[in-house]
Amino acid sequence: MPISRCLKSKPFAFSLRHARQTSKRAFSATAYEDSDVVIVGGGPAGLALANALGAARPIAERLKVTLIEAGDLSKIRYWNPLSSAFSNRPTDTGAWSHVDESRTMPIGEMQVWDGLSDARITFSASDISVAGKDAPGEMARLTENLNLQRALLHSLANRPSIELVDKVRVQSIQQDEREHGGRWPLVYLSDGRAIRARLLVGADGFNSPVRSYAGIQSYGWAYDAQAIVATLNHHPRTMLEPPNTIAYQRFLPTGPIAFLPLSPTTSSLVWSTKPHLAKTLLEADPSTLATMVNAAFRLPNISLRYIYERFLDNHTSGVTLTPEDLYSEISFRERSHGVNPHSAYSSMTMRAVLGGVPPSDAGALPPFVTSIQQGTAASFPLRFSHADTYIGEGQGTRTVLVGDAAHTVHPLAGQGLNMGLGDVEALVNCIETAVIHGGDVGSHTALFPYARARYLENHKVMSAVDKLHKLYSSTAEPIVWARSVGVEVLNELDTIKAAIMMTAGSTRNHRQDSQGASRSVAVSGVENLAKGVSALGTMAEGFVDVVGVGVQGILRQLSSSSRR
Amino acid sequence: MNPIRMQFMREKLLESAREHQDEDSCEASETFAGLDILDIGCGGGLLCESLARLGANTLGIDASSSNVAIATHHASADPSLNLSSHSPAHKSSRTSPGMLSYAHTSAEDLLAAQGPKQFDVVCAMEVIEHVDNPRLFLNDCAQLVKPGGHLFISTIARTPLAYFLTIFAAEQMLRLVSPGTHTYSKYINPNELIDYFHQYKGPEREVPWITRLVNGIPLRTEAETRGMVYLPWKGEWSLIPRHALGAKWAEGCNYLFWVRRPTE
Repeated sequence: MPISRCLKSKPFAFSLRHARQTSKRAFSATAYEDSDVVIVGGGPAGLALANALGAARPIAERLKVTLIEAGDLSKIRYWNPLSSAFSNRPTDTGAWSHVDESRTMPIGEMQVWDGLSDARITFSASDISVAGKDAPGEMARLTENLNLQRALLHSLANRPSIELVDKVRVQSIQQDEREHGGRWPLVYLSDGRAIRARLLVGADGFNSPVRSYAGIQSYGWAYDAQAIVATLNHHPRTMLEPPNTIAYQRFLPTGPIAFLPLSPTTSSLVWSTKPHLAKTLLEADPSTLATMVNAAFRLPNISLRYIYERFLDNHTSGVTLTPEDLYSEISFRERSHGVNPHSAYSSMTMRAVLGGVPPSDAGALPPFVTSIQQGTAASFPLRFSHADTYIGEGQGTRTVLVGDAAHTVHPLAGQGLNMGLGDVEALVNCIETAVIHGGDVGSHTALFPYARARYLENHKVMSAVDKLHKLYSSTAEPIVWARSVGVEVLNELDTIKAAIMMTAGSTRNHRQDSQGASRSVAVSGVENLAKGVSALGTMAEGFVDVVGVGVQGILRQLSSSSRR
Repeated sequence: MNPIRMQFMREKLLESAREHQDEDSCEASETFAGLDILDIGCGGGLLCESLARLGANTLGIDASSSNVAIATHHASADPSLNLSSHSPAHKSSRTSPGMLSYAHTSAEDLLAAQGPKQFDVVCAMEVIEHVDNPRLFLNDCAQLVKPGGHLFISTIARTPLAYFLTIFAAEQMLRLVSPGTHTYSKYINPNELIDYFHQYKGPEREVPWITRLVNGIPLRTEAETRGMVYLPWKGEWSLIPRHALGAKWAEGCNYLFWVRRPTE
């Protein structure tokens, strides 16, 4: 019998014990390199993923990880800004040894109010700080995205299992169709290399090439809105005012405007508004934008609408509205609304006050913006989109999506980065389990728990954020009344506010124990972001990051407590 | 099902290793490294690939030549697997994956060809319920294990529940498996496997592999059974924890069995 003869002539046990085939397989003789995990995109999600994969020992020992970024990462690695200049990509992160702490800002309080009814809710760290948690008085920490990315890069420098490839574009992704190719993805790079990926991770942002390769459709729509981001300069708060650790967000019918502290004299703006208005504002003189920002936080909506129209009319007719004209227009509207000239709502007072006794309601509004930091103003369109699946099948086998490649959401609650870091955490857990059990990390079986853990979770957050957006876009009386009453009632129920946040926070506690230090670092951003603020987008996309505040406390996910 | 098989095998190998060495010297990540493992009924090679990735020198055998061809083809796409072309080569280093090879043969023929005591670990996952003479099959498997080595078997218990789930529901109602795949009368209960090894001594020994039973349960260092349950709401198989409520009941359908060959 041929088989038994074959068996006799090949001493299996012997060859098994001593054999080790060193000769390369036919295809490895071609120009392909093999890598177990290829991450496309060096934004926060991609870098956090690479870091976490390098930090988990079973993974680092067995898997080769390659991260590909089109941009120049050394610019971030050696990012060494003037201490007075802040990038407008704030993000929310956990404490981390590589993060430059002097460029982070603790957030102790968030104030969110309704542009129509002024119904206001305040989230304060003192409501939710719990015994055993460090740094009471701080609910989240804001820092620039660049600071976080730089920290991730520095940490990656100590992770030999991770290969960073920057300044290289992905030219095309194809399926390995050769006989022994197994239809694995082949990634062709602009420097001539070709990498065959066991698992291809799309961390490449909204216009994800990996997602197109995998043939994954996404569901969503564009909002009729643009977000303007900028770094704002303002005077430091005086001794008699609360420090600049309060984040503010006002819900206007055209979209929320948010103010996020970066340092005592600089803060970040995220203002979502109608596209034509955003365009005109960015084209106008920077001091006009500063004036409009102040007005958008202060003026009653009806006057704001009037000012917008004036501003747009002037723009279309080619007559520039000078900053002085605009200012006097705003002053007039303030007077006609009977704004107390000694209140923080009076831009006249705020502009004049330098020292002296500040208005008693100064804490209710952000500091008066004096100018826009040069070159920081930008805008990007807002959209809702969610990939139909996170794991590629068929044509896109061995691909997985994380971060913005999988989902984009309105920035009003600052959940973009949160969700991305949540994805990273779940994916790393999945990969680690697979590696420990000898599984193939590119297989659907190995990745399935990731999609199970994240898809619905992300969808809930995205839907909640979308509903909030819709709720606050409405100007219909009954809706405004209902949302205002709801918010005011909730605002009075401190214990409930705290309970909501603590319950959500405690569910995330256990994770840190089992994981490597840096990994929990990357991931502890997730916990905080809840509260807070976060950023959207990847650098490669030129997306500017966006931050939102406070509302999250209402949402279930949010809120971890004062941990940092 | 594969991840929980691996989980069970890993647990048992670690437990056994820690009996003999102190805890710290057992590297959890190297549980399988360098072991000679035989997978009987390897099918598409899922278990074999996992074992080889963890550094075991793995031989997968199957009675179906198409299964062997599929497994070989699948493994050839994975550059991290050291797929053997049956040529003797150099010694394996400890952390890189071991040699993987497949052969179209049966346990009986392999035993006849290579003689007994060849493998540190022998697995027969979901095989014995298809075998015509399970006592003979168990004997072949047992003889292939080296002294101090391990035998892992997974199969289906002969209970009304198992009939309902694996034959009525899976074959006849849902058609997940082609009808006729399973034969109820060939199912084997956990206590039957335990009883077999409570009597089985092997050719040269006086003492059986399982020396004593307490309420029908063997010592945990000699043999163990664990239930596997499919959780539809998670879409995953789950290994029932040893002391979970209803752990015995959970062995009423799919279960894993482990027994260790005594050292000589």
